[in-house]
Order: sequence, then C-alpha cells, then structure tokens
Amino acid sequence: MFLHNFLYEIKSSLRVRDLLFWLILFPIILGTFFKIAFGDLYEKQTTVSTIPTAIVETKENETFRSVVESMSETDEPLLSAEYLTEEEALKKLKAGDVKGVIYTGEKITLTVSGDGVEQSVLKLFIEQYMIREKIITDAVANDPTKIPAVIAALSEEISTSEEEPLTKGNTDFYIQYFYNLIAMVAMYGSITGLHIAIGQQANLSELGARKNCSPTPKSIGILASLTGTWVVQSVCMLICVSFTAFVLKVDYGDRLPFVYIAAICGGIIGVSFGFFIGSIGKMKQGAKVGICMTVSMVMCFLSGLMAGNMKPIMAEKAPWFNNINPAALVTDSISALNLYSDYEVFTKKIIVMLIESALFYVLGLLLVRRRKYASL
Amino acid sequence: MENTVVKIDNLVKRYGELVALDHFSLEIKEGEVFGLLGPNGSGKTTTINCLLSLLSFDKGSIEIFGKKMTPVSYDIKKEIGVIMQNVIVSEELNVYENIDYFCGLYITDKKLRKQYVEEAIKFVGLEDFTKFYPKKLSGGLLRRLNIACGIAHKPKLIILDEPTVAVDPQSRNKILEGIQELNRNGVTIIYTSHYMEEIEQICTRIAIMDKGRKVAEGTKDELKRMIKNTETISVEVLGLGEDILTEIRTLPHVYDVKYDEKLLVISCSGGKHNLIRILDVLQKREVGFGRVYSELPTLNEVFLEITGKALRDKEE
Repeated sequence: MFLHNFLYEIKSSLRVRDLLFWLILFPIILGTFFKIAFGDLYEKQTTVSTIPTAIVETKENETFRSVVESMSETDEPLLSAEYLTEEEALKKLKAGDVKGVIYTGEKITLTVSGDGVEQSVLKLFIEQYMIREKIITDAVANDPTKIPAVIAALSEEISTSEEEPLTKGNTDFYIQYFYNLIAMVAMYGSITGLHIAIGQQANLSELGARKNCSPTPKSIGILASLTGTWVVQSVCMLICVSFTAFVLKVDYGDRLPFVYIAAICGGIIGVSFGFFIGSIGKMKQGAKVGICMTVSMVMCFLSGLMAGNMKPIMAEKAPWFNNINPAALVTDSISALNLYSDYEVFTKKIIVMLIESALFYVLGLLLVRRRKYASL
Repeated sequence: MENTVVKIDNLVKRYGELVALDHFSLEIKEGEVFGLLGPNGSGKTTTINCLLSLLSFDKGSIEIFGKKMTPVSYDIKKEIGVIMQNVIVSEELNVYENIDYFCGLYITDKKLRKQYVEEAIKFVGLEDFTKFYPKKLSGGLLRRLNIACGIAHKPKLIILDEPTVAVDPQSRNKILEGIQELNRNGVTIIYTSHYMEEIEQICTRIAIMDKGRKVAEGTKDELKRMIKNTETISVEVLGLGEDILTEIRTLPHVYDVKYDEKLLVISCSGGKHNLIRILDVLQKREVGFGRVYSELPTLNEVFLEITGKALRDKEE
C-alpha cells in the first residue's frame, strides 16, 4: 500500500502543471533574469583594475609610503599613486582622474568622489592599513620584544598581492541571489506539502474523505504521499541547482555536491513546513495556500531574496531568526561552503534543517491524527 | 435466515443546536438494495458519513457485518465500496489510473488488481476512454468513472450517496442498471437519493427520512399502503354540474373530488372497481368524456402525506 500510494503521488505530482511551473520553470526564468541583471556587475567586480589615487602628505609617514609603494609595484598593482598638493589632488578628483585622495596626517583619511567598486576598495585598503598600524602601536606599548615578529607577520601579509581564500568557493555578493533562488524553490515545496495534508483529511477535502473510507491507514497514506513529494521536490531542487551551475555558469565553488545536499534538505524542510501549515485548523484550501505563500515569501525576503542586505540586518536585529528561518538556513548552508574551509557550519545548518523538518512533520501528524470528525 | 449487514441503533448526531440525526435506527439485510429517501438536509448523507466512521456521533451504535464500525475497522472497510455524492477522482490521473489508484487502496495483489480494474472498466462501459483524463469526460462518463473507482475492488457492501445528481437520463439508466446487476451478483446496496423514481425502480426496501428521523420504512407496496390514497382517477370531461360531482363524492372509497372545468380528479382510498363506478355515473348522466387514466400513489405522495411536504424542492 505504501509503494502504491508513493508511486501514484509521484505520478500525480509530475502532472500538476502549476507545480512544474513554480518549481522548475519559474526558477529557471528568475535565475536567467538574475544572471542577466547581475552578470555584468559580477564580471566588473572580478576584474578590478589599478586604482588611480592621489596622496597628500600633510605629515610624512614612511611606513605608509612603503606600503603604498609595495601595493603599486606588483605585476597587477592595486594602486597607481601620485603625490600631489591638496589643491592638485582635489582638482584631479573632481575631474575623475583619480578615484580618491589619501591624506597622511596624524590620522590617515580618505576622500572619494563616489561610491563605486574602486572607491570601496580604497576604503577597505585604508581600513586594513589602520588596523595593522594599531596592532604594531599596541605591540610597542605592551611588549616591545614582540615587535619584530609582529612586523614580520604583517609585512608578509601586506606584501601578498592577492588574498589567500579559505576555500575555493565564490564569495561574490551577487551569488547570494542564486542562493536565495534555491531557498525560494525549496519554500515553494510548502504548497505540495500543504496539499498532502489537505488531501488526507476528511474534513478538508472530499478526496480526504474518500481515502478515509479505504482500509489504507492514514499514517501510511501520509507517509507515502510525503515521501513521494519529497522525491519530486528533490528532483526540482536538483534541476534548479544544475541549471544555475551548468547553464547559467553560476560559480558555486568546488563543493557542488554539497550544494545539492543543502538544496535537497531545503526541499524537505519546505514540504514539511507546508504539511504542517496544511494540518492546522479547518480553514479553506485557498486561505491555507495564501498563508503558506505569504509566510514562505516573508522567510525568503528576510533571507535576502528581494533585498540583498536584509540578512545582515536580521543578523544584527534578530540573530536568532536566521538560525531558524528555513530560507536563511538554506542560503547560509550554501554560503558556509564558500566561506569556511571545514564543514562545521554547513553540517550544523543541515542538522537544524533536518530537525525542523522532523518537527514540522511530527506536529503535522499530531494535528491530522484524528480519524473521526465532528463535521465534514 | 438472511444475515444483517448493517445495523444502526438509536443514532443521534448534533451540530450544535441542530439535530441532524434524531434516534435513527436501521437494519439492512444481505442482498438488499436499501433506499434512503428524503429531501435535501434530511440526514441521508450524515447517516452515510456516520456509517463510514468519518463523522463522530453523540449517541447510538453502528455495526457492519456484525462488527462494531470504527475508523480503524480496516477489515470492514475492505468490504465496503463508496460512491460519494460528488465525483472524487484525481485530475492528474487518467481513467485507468484513477480506478487502479482507488482499487490499490484495497487490493495489494498487483495481478488481481489489474484484473479487477479491467472488469470495472468494462462494467461501467469506459473501455474507449481508459486514456482520457477526467476533464475530457462528460458529466455522465465522470459519474461512471466515480462508480468504477468505488466498486473495482469487488466489495460486499456498496454505499451510493446520490450517484445520479446532474446526470443525463441515458447515463442515469446505465448507472441504475449497473447497480441492479451488482445486486444480482450478491452485493448489498445502500442507495440514497431524493429522486423517488430511482428509489422505486431499484430498491427492495426503503426508509423515508425527514429532519434526521426515519418517518417510514418498508417495501414500496408497504409504504404505499401506509397512506390514505390508493388510487387517483383522472377524467377529461367538460361542463360537469354540481349535482354530478356530489353524486361522485358519495361513491364508496372516494374521499376527494376536484374539478377545473376540464379535468376531473378523484382520489380514492382502498376498495376495488373505483373506476368502473365513476364511469358508470357519467354514462348514466349521459356525460361524454375524453381520456381516462388511473394512477397508483407514488413515493412522493407517500412522503407528502407522511411529512406534510413535497419530497423535492420546487426548483428541483
């Protein structure tokens, strides 16, 4: 009976056109749109050229001068610095000949003409320099014997023209949108889960009533249908990841199999979440679909689907929420693959997803376990 | 002695203040085609839902095949076929798959199931439509599919809840013939409807329901004997005088006479040769008349007399 229900669930699901649109076609369309919209930005960001910079020395700073020299004399120099008076520097800044003016006084300051990528890199460069300068200053004050070791370490770091990544992953900002796309497909699975719950309850659907008349135990029916839906959802997730990775050439780093795992777990949590929502109360199907879609979209929004900076905002305002928001768990688990060299964070996120899935499933089962109804 | 297949004892079902079933009792024997007749809202579907253990009830008991019916009575459910009021099939599955799906909820043996599904398709005459999806089927064919889904597993008891609603006459006849054939093969049938003609045509025993109560029970003839009217005689006649009408009113067994200048309608209660006596009066008075017909009472009249209201709503 399990296999019978399971196979027919898969067969039925694969023939629901709406489902195929929202779970397969829509992500392909949206993914393509993302690629068109962000692809150009991505290309630009990965090929940042040498930044023309003016330096105004209000007070001589030998250390800074040597650092600037080192950044200007590599094969692919970050800076093309010229030492000017303040007047000349500002004139060039206004004309767009330089992207920023660095003042080396008591404190190193930066003036930029806009907020482009090159200006951001200049800001980052100044910030990094100041952090390192402070480390050395602190070492002088606290333990002068360690100064040579600290300078050696920092010099080695500064002299490296390229940052050594922790992983071979892609930490590009715009790839977050593709992570969110995967999370969105996962959350769309909630609609299929919701239909499972409704289709098994005699008081919510005629099909549920009809099934309840048969000798197939409700628990077997639910488990078989959910398993079937999990399989279909997983296939949709695989298609989504594969399309973005191989057709749109989105760079997921060198851990693609783990991205698939995260996507599949996301699909499972999406279906389970929908099953839970579908099991609550006796609202009409349309109302439940509305609730499910709204909650799913809010989760995706808070994980950064519509606004890329939303997740950091949530991380600051309500850090606990990102740890339980299914959409954020999906994006975080994939991000973790690109940010960390080990699998600790990834594994943690996957475990949380599976625990939440189990929780939604058990709660849903508890709600639909009733076998007789006061009214139909 | 015939076995009791269904026994409902003193069933009470309330929806808040509304009493949907009011101490309702019933006993259905093996091999019967039992009709539950009543207007919309009389409690027929509630009875069926309680019988199937879908609905909880406040009082009473239900036994099927001599065992108490509960939601987990899977051995009993295995022997019951259900055809609900609305067509319940999956839009994503074709005719064959739908029947196979529902049959598979009862029959695990794949080979046996295949045989049963093919027999059910043949039984309802859907051989030419096996690859069709429900949305491509007409209302009548959909009803047939609904029936096939309910009977494919060869149940011993089949419950049909208004299976012919919104069905064309041709499909309706096909459905009714099919039900009779199932019964001839030994299946016990419970048939609910508010179409008295259908109930009269196929049911061996009938319970009339109103406001959640059983107001009468028996065979068609037994029910008809319960009411005063046994025969209605209609005569097409013009220009009848009041004296003739008075003479007809005094005839034995005549209890009501109506005349509208064209048609004389006489209601009789019991007795024999009522028509001969009426025509005798007209001939003696040398009154010429047109068509004459005599009608036996219908279940609608039975219902009307017992409950004081028509069985079907005007719009139906």
